[in-house]
Amino acid sequence: MAEPGVMRDAATHDQLVRAMQQSQQADPMKSLPNSNVADPSLNLPKDLVSQSDFISFQGAATLVPKHAILKVPAAYAACARFQEGSKILGWAEFFAANRGWITTVEITAEQAEGKAPLSDEVAAMISKSNNLIVATFKGGPISLLPSKVAAETASTKP
Amino acid sequence: MKTFLLRLISLSALAASAASAQTYTNFIRQVQVSTGVQWDATVAYQGTQASSLEIPIGGSRFELWTLLSSPLTSYLLDTKFVGSYVPSATVAIRTEDPYALVPRTRADRPFSIDITTSGLFSGTGSTDASKNVTLLRHVQSYGPGGTGVNMDRTQATLLTQSTISTNGTQTLTYQVTSIPGDDRTAVRGEERFSVFSLADSVSLAPASQLASQYVQIWPVARGSIEGITAGQKIRFSTPFLTLTANDLYPDSRVYAQVYKGASRLGVSGTIVPGSAAIVNDSVPQDRVIILRDYDALFTEDGQWTIELLTSTPFGIDRLASTTFVVDRTIRVNGTISTQN
Repeated sequence: MAEPGVMRDAATHDQLVRAMQQSQQADPMKSLPNSNVADPSLNLPKDLVSQSDFISFQGAATLVPKHAILKVPAAYAACARFQEGSKILGWAEFFAANRGWITTVEITAEQAEGKAPLSDEVAAMISKSNNLIVATFKGGPISLLPSKVAAETASTKP
Repeated sequence: MKTFLLRLISLSALAASAASAQTYTNFIRQVQVSTGVQWDATVAYQGTQASSLEIPIGGSRFELWTLLSSPLTSYLLDTKFVGSYVPSATVAIRTEDPYALVPRTRADRPFSIDITTSGLFSGTGSTDASKNVTLLRHVQSYGPGGTGVNMDRTQATLLTQSTISTNGTQTLTYQVTSIPGDDRTAVRGEERFSVFSLADSVSLAPASQLASQYVQIWPVARGSIEGITAGQKIRFSTPFLTLTANDLYPDSRVYAQVYKGASRLGVSGTIVPGSAAIVNDSVPQDRVIILRDYDALFTEDGQWTIELLTSTPFGIDRLASTTFVVDRTIRVNGTISTQN
């Protein structure tokens, strides 16, 4: 036997036109105070790629915020961009597989905002290192604002 | 200063559904609005955790992105602005379809939106941004045959906008969608309800999204039965039938049934063997079903009806029906005489 349940003929265009007119006349938003602000949804962030730098190696890639890469040695210059065809990984997974040539520098929120300088010790380590260096906060890559920080920063285009 | 819980459950699942055969990777980025500092949280695929980076007075914008590797493209799945003096909001949409991944319904069905606001201040000493939020209703058609994949959502039409200045939950109910479309049965697209803060003249924070949710609207299914005409007399073999069903709801079942007598809505007849098909997808589907050798269903002569039906979360819809006559009685007209 066929299925039990409410059965009806499929709705027609004319029925739905009437239903839409009724729905629009009874629009509950009309009972709220009107708003005339410019549509703020047009200002939503549109692109993560342009706000990020990429690191690629052996078919894998990840992204970090702009100004999170503090140093790119010449030997790794080709890695500091997105290599076409790479599989994109989250930062933690990518970093775990590339610890040999990527070093992270854990910074504070104040340092990220440019309100506090990096310590001399960290600055010296960055200067001497032959690795690509990424600024992190609690393990996640973070941008280090360049305006008040003396450390070398490098930012690359994807 | 306060922290913010990163909640990824449903949104990550959405990214996975959009992925199809390609690889997408999700990122959550926290943007400190007043300074521009950006931080990528390391998060699990699914779950909840507190943000480690404190939210400054000016507020933080949390962005959930998914990234496609080829071509290299990013899609903003959701964003939420959080701050110490910023109102909070949630938007939840309810439909008759229990599908968990995204609210969805059909062009002829109602839906409701629950909007909850908190943290709105009252009084003369408060700024407009702390006393009011903006509620927006956008509609956008997917176009004929469209599914919304890779659609530019900045092209959505702002249908209505209102101001909310009280804390609590408000429920909006709509009888049917208002997504534009000449044929109202074929409308497919989405309606989005968003709550935005007002631009703050004190903290200089721009108008930012506090909460947003959309509901997918799919067309009403259409169907036809070909191979038999109304009133046709069937004698000893039944004709091949072609059942065509278009835009079947993503969670539905289509089948044909027969019953004795004229067409009557609501009759539960006998399902024609081989006529049933199940749709369990994220977008509407089409099906063409060929029926043959179904003579045994007609147990006696007389008027019969065949119907094409679809069962959905909204009930059973009759897409097409045809009434015909079965007449297998052999009548021999002759005379018997004797030669007396």
